[in-house]
Formats: sequence, C-alpha cells, structure tokens
Amino acid sequence: MPKRTDIQTILVIGSGPIVIGQACEFDYSGAQACKVLREEGYRVVLVNSNPATIMTDPGLADRTYIEPVTAEFVEKVIRAERPDALLATLGGQTALNVAVELATSGVLDELGVEMIGCDLPVIQRGEDRKLFNECMAELGIETARAGYAYSVEDARGIVAEIGYPVVLRPSFTLGGAGGGIAHDDDELTLIVSQGIELSPVGEVLVEESVEGWKEFEMEVVRDGAGNGIVVCSIENLDPMGVHTGDSITVAPAQTLSDVEYQRMRAASLAVLEKVGVQTGGSNVQFAVNPADGRMVIIEMNPRVSRSSALASKATGFPIAKVAARLAVGYTLPEIVNDMTGVTSACFEPSIDYCVVKAPRFAFEKFKDSDDTLSTRMKAVGEVMAIGRTFEEALGKALRSLENGRAGLGVDGHVRASETKEGYRPLLARPTCDRIVYVGCALRCGWTPAEIHAATGIDRFFLDRMADIVAVQEALRGVRVDDIDAEAFLIAKRHGLSDAQIAFLTHSSEIVVRARRKALGVVPAFKAVDTCAAEFESPSAYYYKTYDAGESELVAASSKPKALILGAGPNRIGQGIEFDYCCVHACYALSEAGYETIMVNCNPETVSTDYDTSDRLYFEPLTYEDVMDIIDAERPDGVVATLGGQTPLKLARALEEAGVPIMGTAADAIDLAEDRDRFADLLDGLGVAYPPAGDASTLDEAVRVADHIGFPLLVRPSYVLGGRGMAIVYDARQLRRYMGEAAKISPDHPVYLDKFLESAVEGDLDCVCDGDDVYVGGILEHIEEAGIHSGDSACCIPPFSLSDALVAKLREIAWRLALAIGVRGLLNIQFAIKDQQIYVIEANPRASRTVPFVSKATGVPLAKVAARVMAGEQLADMGLPLDSRDLGYCAVKEAVMPFGRFPGSDVVLGPEMKSTGEVMGIAPTFPAAYAKTQLAISYELPRSGGVFISVADRDKRSIAAIARDFSRLGFDVLCTGGTAKTLSASGVPCQKVNKVSEGQPNVVDLIGDGKIVLMINTPYGHGSRGDGYELRLAAVRHGVTYATTIAAAQALAAAMETVHDDGLGVVALQDLPQWE
Amino acid sequence: MSELAQRMLAATSKPAREAALLVLEDGTAFRGIACGAPGEVFGEICFNTALEGYLEVVTDPSYAGQVVIMTYPQIGNYGVCFEDAQAAHPALRGLVVRDMCRTPSNWRSEVALCDYLEREGIVAIEGVDTRALVRHVRQRGAMRAAISTIDLGEESLCAKVRASEPIVGVNLASGVSCAEPYRFTAHDLPAGKAFALAPAEAARHRVIAYDCGVKRSILEGLARVGCEVTVVPWDTPAADVLAASPDGVFLSNGPGDPDAVVGTYEQVGKLLGKVPVFGICLGHQMICKAAGAQMEKLKFGHHGGNHPVANLLTGRVEITAQNHGFNLVFPSVGPLDPARSSGVRDHAGDLRFWVERGVAPVALNSRFGGVRLTHVNLNDGTAEGIAFTDIPAFSVQYHPEANPGPTDSHYLFKAFCRLMDGYDDYLDIDIAADRLEGWRF
Repeated sequence: MPKRTDIQTILVIGSGPIVIGQACEFDYSGAQACKVLREEGYRVVLVNSNPATIMTDPGLADRTYIEPVTAEFVEKVIRAERPDALLATLGGQTALNVAVELATSGVLDELGVEMIGCDLPVIQRGEDRKLFNECMAELGIETARAGYAYSVEDARGIVAEIGYPVVLRPSFTLGGAGGGIAHDDDELTLIVSQGIELSPVGEVLVEESVEGWKEFEMEVVRDGAGNGIVVCSIENLDPMGVHTGDSITVAPAQTLSDVEYQRMRAASLAVLEKVGVQTGGSNVQFAVNPADGRMVIIEMNPRVSRSSALASKATGFPIAKVAARLAVGYTLPEIVNDMTGVTSACFEPSIDYCVVKAPRFAFEKFKDSDDTLSTRMKAVGEVMAIGRTFEEALGKALRSLENGRAGLGVDGHVRASETKEGYRPLLARPTCDRIVYVGCALRCGWTPAEIHAATGIDRFFLDRMADIVAVQEALRGVRVDDIDAEAFLIAKRHGLSDAQIAFLTHSSEIVVRARRKALGVVPAFKAVDTCAAEFESPSAYYYKTYDAGESELVAASSKPKALILGAGPNRIGQGIEFDYCCVHACYALSEAGYETIMVNCNPETVSTDYDTSDRLYFEPLTYEDVMDIIDAERPDGVVATLGGQTPLKLARALEEAGVPIMGTAADAIDLAEDRDRFADLLDGLGVAYPPAGDASTLDEAVRVADHIGFPLLVRPSYVLGGRGMAIVYDARQLRRYMGEAAKISPDHPVYLDKFLESAVEGDLDCVCDGDDVYVGGILEHIEEAGIHSGDSACCIPPFSLSDALVAKLREIAWRLALAIGVRGLLNIQFAIKDQQIYVIEANPRASRTVPFVSKATGVPLAKVAARVMAGEQLADMGLPLDSRDLGYCAVKEAVMPFGRFPGSDVVLGPEMKSTGEVMGIAPTFPAAYAKTQLAISYELPRSGGVFISVADRDKRSIAAIARDFSRLGFDVLCTGGTAKTLSASGVPCQKVNKVSEGQPNVVDLIGDGKIVLMINTPYGHGSRGDGYELRLAAVRHGVTYATTIAAAQALAAAMETVHDDGLGVVALQDLPQWE
Repeated sequence: MSELAQRMLAATSKPAREAALLVLEDGTAFRGIACGAPGEVFGEICFNTALEGYLEVVTDPSYAGQVVIMTYPQIGNYGVCFEDAQAAHPALRGLVVRDMCRTPSNWRSEVALCDYLEREGIVAIEGVDTRALVRHVRQRGAMRAAISTIDLGEESLCAKVRASEPIVGVNLASGVSCAEPYRFTAHDLPAGKAFALAPAEAARHRVIAYDCGVKRSILEGLARVGCEVTVVPWDTPAADVLAASPDGVFLSNGPGDPDAVVGTYEQVGKLLGKVPVFGICLGHQMICKAAGAQMEKLKFGHHGGNHPVANLLTGRVEITAQNHGFNLVFPSVGPLDPARSSGVRDHAGDLRFWVERGVAPVALNSRFGGVRLTHVNLNDGTAEGIAFTDIPAFSVQYHPEANPGPTDSHYLFKAFCRLMDGYDDYLDIDIAADRLEGWRF
C-alpha cells in the first residue's frame, strides 16, 4: 500500500521530561518519526515539554509546542492546529496516556483526529491486564496465574490460592512504578497499599512469582498488511525479578534452542495480531522456566519502548523510523533497508556480534533508599557495547558505565569481602554491583554452579565470566614486557581493558598500550549491517573488536574529519542535554564541510543514530577505546567540550598523546577548573568570588572555617553534578561531613567555600571565538543559593535583576571568556548578594542549560560553538543582538525522581538529584512557571488544604505567600510555630498536630487526601524528624510540594495565573529563530 | 602458542587445543583451532546466517558436500539435544565458527556441540574471523575449501583443494538417501518436543516421500498435519509409487546440483498429473526439471533464517528458512500466458516485478500446462515457489518445515493436505491464522 494521502497534518506527542523509566530513547524515536513524516511530505505538529530534546528543535517539525504533555494542553494544540491524525506510539507511556485520555473524553472524535499506529481498544488490550489475559487465554498462550486486588484483603485472598512469593503490579503506572515482590504478609500489605494509591484506577495485580526464571524480550514490528517480523530477541542476564530496565541484557538470545526460540517468535507475532496492533513496533516479554522450558508471557507494550531503541541500535534496524512510515500506510516490503540500500525492511536482521546492555544507577545520590533491584525500575541510564563475543561485549559494557570501573573487576577497587562465604549475601540480593561481586566470587573460589544457585543467573553467562576471570588471574603479577602478542590477544578477546591489564601487571595504561601496539595487537573495526555481511552495505556504523582479520573502515574522503566525543550513559548531572549539544555539533560541522565521526556508548540517544553523523563508533568513552578510534581515523580535530565531564576528562590525555583538540585548549580547561589558578585569574580581573579554602583533615577544615566563617559550602574536589556537596552551618555539621566525605574521595581534598545565604544565583552561557563573546542567555534561578543549579528552576530573561547588574554580568563574561582563552562555549555560575556579583565557577564547556537557552532565545548555541571551533568568527554569523529584549519568559524546571527512591529525603541541596527538565514559555514569569509545574505534575490544585511549615529563618517571608493561597481559596493549615506567625500577620489558618503531637496529625491528613499542597522548608543539611516524614508522605501520595520559599512564591503566582485560566499555547516557529 | 598464552587459557573452559587450517580455492587461508574431529576435509564453502539452530544446520542432509560457516560468532551455547537433529548423522563436510562453546546451558542439552562433532567425525575449526571470511565468500562467490588439522601448510592444502572434486554435476542426493523404504507416522514424533509442539492430527492421508536427503522435521511436519508417510529411496520408479496408489507424493530437500539428480526427476515426470505432488527445495527443483525448466547456480546461495518471500497469491510476506545454492530460472518454464499474467507478455528478469504489481503470472509449460509463479524472494527477486494450474502439484524452493528458522510457512503442509483433499484454492491460507497451528504453550 502506498502512503496515505487522506491525511495532511500529523500530531506527534513526545514523552515529556526525562524520568526513570522514560528517558531519551523517546527523543531518539520521536526525532526519527518527525524526520520521516516530514520527508514523506506531511505537516508535523509536535508537543513535548522537554527542551533538551532534538525533537523539539524548531527545524524538526512544522509546528513545535514546548508545552505540558497533558490532555488539556494537547487539546489546545489540536484546536489551534487541527491535525488529521495523532501518532502517540513513539512518545512512551506518557504520550499513550494522553492519547487515551483524549480518545475517551471524545476530543479526538469531536475534532476529527484519527489515532494512527494503534487505537484506543488496542492500547486498552495491551495495558489492561484483564483484557490482555483474556486475549492470551484465547490464543492459548500461558500467563502467570494471578488476580486483581482493590484492597489488601483482596490481595491476601489471592495469595491464599497461589502462595508466596507474589509479584505486585499496580495498573497503569509508568515503568512499573509502585510494583514489587512480596514474600510475606508484611511486604504484601506495604506494597499493595502503596500500589493502590499510585495506580490511577486503584488496582494492583497479584501474580504468581516467576522470580528466577529466564527473561526474554522480543522486539516485533507489524505492518497494515499483516506482515510481522521480529527485529531482535533480547535475553536478560539477571533472571526474572529484576526490572528489564535494571537488568544487564544480551542480544540476541543466547540460551534458547531453535524450537524454543521459534515458539516464542510465533507467540510474539500472534500476540500483536490478537491485541490488534495495526502497525508499528511493540515489545513482548516472556519468562521461561530454566528447568522445563515452560514459557509464560509477561506483558506487551503496543508502542515503541526503551528496548526498541536498544534493538534498533543493536541491529541497525531503525524501528521508530520504520514504525512512522508504517503508520502512514506503507507496508514493510515497500520500505527499503537503509543498511543495504537494496533489500527491503521486511526481514529479520541477522547479527554477527553480541550486544550487551548494562544499566547505570545513581543510588549514591539517594541515601537511605533501598538499593535492592526489583520490578520497579531504578536505573537512570544505560550503556550498550558490541563485541564479537559475549566476553568482549561484557568487558566493554562494564567499562562504559563511567562508575570508575575498567571492566569485570581487577581495576583497583576494594574487595567487598575477604571470605568466600562473605559473598553469599552479596550474590543473593540483586543490586547494581552484583555483576562485580560475581567476578569477585569466582576469584574467591565460587564455582559457576554455586553462583547459579545463589543468583539464578544462567550458567552460560557465568561460565563465560569464569573464563574471563581465569584469564585475568593468569595475568596477575606477570610483567608487561613478558606479555607476548598471543597473550595480549587472548586477554583482549576476553574483554580485558588496557587499564585492567595495567592493574594486573602493576603497570600503567599508557605503558600497556605502547607495548600492545608495539606487538601489533590492534583492534579491527567491523560494521553493523543488519545482515551478517550477506549483502554489501554502505553502513558506516562500527564497533571495535579483536577479531582482527579484517577492518572494514571505508577510505577517507578529501574532507577534513572532526571526531565528536559523546556523553556516555545518562546519569544524574549528565543527561540528554549533552547529547543534544553533541548532535548539534555534528550537524554544524557537517554543514561546515567536515566529515563527522561520533563516538558514544549510550543506546538511548540521537547521537548514536547512524543517521546523525557520517560515521558512528559505538564504543566506550575511555582513553583506550577513543585512542584506538583516533589511531584508525586520524581526525583533524576532536571535540571534547560538548559531551559534559566524560570527554572533558579525556581532553588532557588526548592532547598529551598529540591529538588535535578543537576549540578550547586543555590548558584553558585546566585554568578554569584548577581553583588556585582560577582564583588568581579572577583576582587579576578584579572579579569577586566567595572566600574559599581547602582541607585534607578535620583540623584543617576547622581552621578554614574559622577564617571564612559559617555557613560553608563543602564538597570533594573533582565532582560531577555536585556529588557529595553540602552546606554546613556549624562545626558539628562540618565534623559529620568530613567523616562522610573521606569515604567518597580519599585521595582528594575537600573544598570549603563561603556559602552566600539567600543570594540570588544564576547561570550565563556564552560562546567566545577569541575576539568576540556572544552571551546566549542569562538565567536567573528561582531557588536561592545553595540549591544545585541543575535542580533549580530558572528563568530567561532574569526577571529580578536590574539592567545595571545584567550589563555588569555581560561585561564579566566577556573578560572572563577572553582571559581563559575559550574557543567555544563557556558557562558561568554566579551569585548576587547585596548587589555584588560573585563568580562561583566557570566551565569552558557545554552546560546543562545550553539546550534550554537555545530553545528560549532561538539561537542554537551548540551549533554556534561548533562553528567557532571550526574556525568561523562570531561577527560573521549574523547572530541577533545578544542584549535584545525577548518579549516573553521561558522557565526551566527540574524533574525529581524521589518517587522511585522511597526513604530518600526530597529536600533540594547542593547535590544534584533531578533526572530531567521541562520548559514553559509564556508572556509572564508566573504563567511560564505554571506551565512547568503542569508539565511535571500534570495538574495544579485549585482548592483544598495547603499545609505550611517553615524553618525559623523563613517565617518572615511566609506570611505574604500564605495570604496569597488564602485569597485563592485554599485552606491554610500549619503546625504550632508557623501558625503563630501567620495568625500574628492576620492570615486565617488552622493549626494541626505535628507527628509527635499525636493523631490526627498532618501525615494522617496527607493520607486522607485533605492536603493538596505542602510548603516545608528544612533547616540545614540532612534535617530529619517531622519534616522528613512529611516530605516522604507528600511524595508517596503525590502531593505537590515546595521545599524553598522561592519555589513557594513562584507556585503561588503560578496558581493565580491558572486560576485566571490565562495559559495559551505557543509554537516555537512563532518566536524569532536564527538560521 | 606461547607458554603464557597457554597458561592464560589453562583454567578456562577452553584450554589450548590443536591448530587447524582453513584454505579456500583462491588461496585465502585462515588459521584457527580445531573444535571437532581431527582430519582433513574438502567441500564447497557456504555461510548460514541463522542466529540459532546450529544443530539443525549441522545435521541437515542438504549440506552434504559443503563446508558451512556460521555467521553468528558464538556457537554451541545451548548444547545438543539429539531430537533436534535432522538426520541420524551429519552430512556436511566441515564447520567453521568464530567461537565454540564447550560449556553449554539448556535444560534439554545432552552433550556439547564440539563433543558431538568429534563423536560424529566432523572436522571443525574455530577462532576464525568468520565475518571477514563471509565477506570474502560474498564477494568471490561459493568455492571449494578445505579444513585440516593434519596439513597446516597453506600452499600444500590449497593445492589439494584445487585438486578436489567440485560439487557441480555431482549427484550428492544418492549418498544421503535411505537404502530401503520405511514408514514415518505420528508414532515417530519425538517425545522431547512435546513441551512445545501440539500432538499430531489424526492420520487422513497416505503419502509417499522421495528421500533425496530428507530433513526429519519435514517428515514430522507431514505427520503432524495427518499424513502417514512411506519414505522411499531417491530413485524409486514412478510405477512402483503409483502402484501403491498413495493420496499424494512428496519430494524432499536434498544436497547439491539438481541437474545431477536425474534418477529422481525422470520419475517425477511420470508422476506429475497422476497424483498430487508437493516438493520442497531440491524437490521443487525436481518438479521444475521434470517440466524441462533450467536451473542456475547462485553466487553464494541462500542459507539462513531471515529471507523474505512474497506470496503473490495473498500479498503477504513470509520470513523463511532457506538453504539452496541452485535456483529455478522461471522464464525457462515456458512463455507467459498474458491472459493470466495481467496482460504482460514478456518475462521479467527480476521477479519482484510481479510483487510490485500484485500479480501471480502463469507460464505455459509444454509438458504440464500452466505454471503459476506463487512465491518470490524479496532480497534478490528469484523464484521461490510455483503451482501448476492444470495438474495437482506445487512446490517451494524454501523450507516451510523451518528447523532452523521461522515457521511462517507452516501453512504449506496444510495446503498439501488440502490439495490431496481436492480443493482448487488449496494454497489460500492466511499465515496469521495458521501461525499458532502446531504449537503448544
């Protein structure tokens, strides 16, 4: 069937902010869809609240709305744009939920919008367990035995029949939020009661446990003519019980015989047909009993998912791109396979390598939270690695994680246990480190059979890991000079990194590399081509392997080559923003006549789409792997300043190895990062900065504190995303901090800066070409100093700073950028207290705020920076005046993952905890801020109880805010101290009990739904007690909350705007755009 | 191997083993490690792109005379379950893999693949950059090759390869056919697959199957849809077959050059039109040969489990298992019948021409009348299936029995039953409706 001509305008819904369970894989799929649909001549309208995405670049859609992904706002967009069709299968669960809401409320029918890809009944059959189980029963495909509970009593009744352990899944929650495994009555009560609250329909599925079974996923694509293909099979290394997003997974399936695999394939295709997926990608998950092959279907998602992004990268088959074409009427045989250019997309990719995906966690950010892995996803990012064998791919995956590891152990980390028995609990409990403990246990004498019994991990994987460990141990203590070529090759084929070999041989990575190359042991590069080399392929998507028979790199063109180092796995502090910058650099350098080469290991991203660069290397961002690529490619320049800390850390070593770095030189980076050198520079420029010192011991720290005075901002040196950063108000807190900080980073001193209490903080992003500086944007933070800039809401333009201050900031930026010697982007963080500007830090690299600034101002800063790196002058680019008045406000707000980490405090501080961001654009600050709040929590309360409890220092400022809420019709509730303050100020309020004052207290009120909004500001770091309990209760019950006065103020103003119903929608294309 | 290298491997599942050498006719050589029986073997090299199902490949009699490269690098992961074997013993000459797993993991596994190969006397080599080798074969085409654990001299082995017998023109089917007729019924279905496969339907048809190297799963496929099969040697006279008055005759897959299997296709010529006939792979080629059509040798053949085949009757695409080096030249069947080819008079070189038009053209064969093109390979536009319009016979070049590979085309076994039942629209079966037939969950 040819493409449909009865539709002209298609609305694509994005997935909103990056949250755990829904990350930038949907930017990848959405961006592909937008590109394809426009190529096909459709008018594309996009809604997505996430400014850090490529898909929200104004060039990707005809109309781009950075608005909340809610039914309310999408309806507004539909009314404004009148699309013919709605494509919701590429924006994750968020988009699907909005589509369901619009369909059930009749909006789509009323406005004549057709859902393409899949319609309402399909979504319901896929997502409603009851309907799904009925479908499976009709097919004769087994599901786990189960029942539905609407109360804890129901759940107990079901368990009486199927027995413990049981798996609990609240219906319709994102990424399995609120789910878990109960082994006894206590666990059942806890998880079921929480799950019923989290589920929008108050329903929890209680299911027979298939914990410990093998888990598989099939990525299936189907077209309107009924042709179906399995693009990729994936086997989880961690058995059932660990969410697939938290599992190490392997493609293709490794331990299924043909009859088992084909049965699973037939079932997958039948499931799609039964559920009624007309076109597009879906994934189907199975559990297989390792003892007898019994196969049970776990679930299916009638949409593109995280694993389809993984499958696309693993096979080279672009599922989202194909799904978009199928949605507009094409059939699979009509679509050409990009990788061969001659065969059709109606086939099943054959791969001749092994792919390992490993999740990246951030438990260190959420103290007091349980780090056991379960059916509720907790990973914040992932890496993918390709090798010719599982051994090679596993080693690469583990060294890609950016967690200080160089592979499967033997990398200088302390042993977790000295005894064999000590590993038993570490193996039994699935955690982010279990894979490493498996390696340790093997070294300690555990056999694969014993580890299998303790972990349920399939023997196939354990035997391969045992081989890796055996090879490692044989190398231990050997002199580097005694390693011959054959031995090197064996080590490499077992996935050992140069760093691991250096550790085992008491040498250095540089020496190992030199020896290895001298022996001629260098890797080959092979192409990902979907067909195992059966057909000739122009593919330039490569991986590295020590199957060194033949390298497949194509001959270089006459163009200069630029190699762009990506950002690695998403983690807190380094997310999609940096991928955005790398992708933009790629586009800009390509336009500037370069051949672009991308290196990255994150399968979720647009940067690792083979369409983004001229050549893609799916490789870890380590010195070894990057240098191997550089040796093969000999690039004319390497871009290291756009991918965040990951490539920045490599810049100096690369430069020392003689690699030409594009843009800001490594020494200039060091000048900005080295505190002493930077302080000297600021002194020389006459720019103020907070008094500071450093200390390696508690005594030293106390001396510094005496000198500077409390409060102090303390942090370990060289940190990312404010890791381990805190504010201390007195000597007692300082003592405690020093005790804990030593654990974080023993070899580095602790920095102590004067903390500028209640200062206004801000960011400034600019580009410098050596002669000129272009200030992209000045962002004023909503939260006062002390909250990590990544967690703070911020506004362009700065709404409370005087013109004189803004002019002064611009002047400082000019002088600083030129003095540091920046050639590219510079981010300056500053604080203003008593009209005095203090520079807190300057980062000569892309910052997290670059995408937001670019979207807010219409000037893509990363592209501008890349052109500067390529030698262009700012003056020649025709950029709009950087001091112009925008005429509207753009607000960015951070999205927090606290719901995923029960037990962890939700208070904001100098350590970054957010996973993503949303943006709101409106004529006024309150309206823009309101949009960001709606984009995160989907609705803002309009009436009900507002609970206020603030620290003493905030008591003076709270009265005005409380009065606003009262005027808006909310009931103000507070505990003793705050009640006294408010009553004295004449604000009507009702006193309620603190937790310690007996029941009914405020936590009970939250539980009863009497409180819709909570304002609770803590005092100092790590505050516990009532406030902590309250905030946990608020997160658990989904109550909107603010933990700073500034946020409370902004929220009050926002609610007033919502109250007046003044929120319209605006397309980026209606705002001035450069280029 | 160096002392350190040996020490590094000593404690792994794969301690150092004896060296092996793979040499191609054009002099290209790959050094590796033996992972099967010791020895020296010669054959035509080809590669298979299936991700799993290595045992079914190794035991497929159609690989007689061939040295097979598996493109997926790690082979043997789930071991060997004897009931998955397609014949009592492997017929291939040698096996080439990147990495052989000696410690398999699967509940059905009885022995490691390398041990099975050794027991069966199959020479195999691992540690070869199989991707580089496959690219070479793809570019240069199928050619003769040798694996040796005896002669590790590249030049001397190459000389032997050049002196070895090519498979073109050789009747390999006779070597893998049964010596005596035997029966195969539902009672012969393997018990060990009952966890995944449904019980057989009640027997309704008596079928005689010519064995040119029949895969066990084809016989199983026939038994499952209700056929009582009598398997007969490749050159059984047609008269004997007709004398037994079967409901239908099946022509099996088999190795090598179809032109050389005269003893079968001459008999087929005497059967066509007298009894319903269904052929798979070499069986399809036998029917074509009986109709006087010509075969061509493909550059490197089709061997794998992911080939898309368009069914011209339904418009659906089947993902198929394939294993053949020779192919029907469709125009050689006879001139087109424009009346039944949507007015087209001239044959198209690339048969995807018909897929794009949604037409199943009919050629007029001088011996058997109308021959409809029913299936076309979407990768290269070659013929994959035909159905006679004037006599009850149809055949496909690919493998509906899969094993290994996708089972989309399972419906063809049912189609054969429908043909024997006398339906004119016997091929009119929806893949989607048939998809779960025969499986048990």
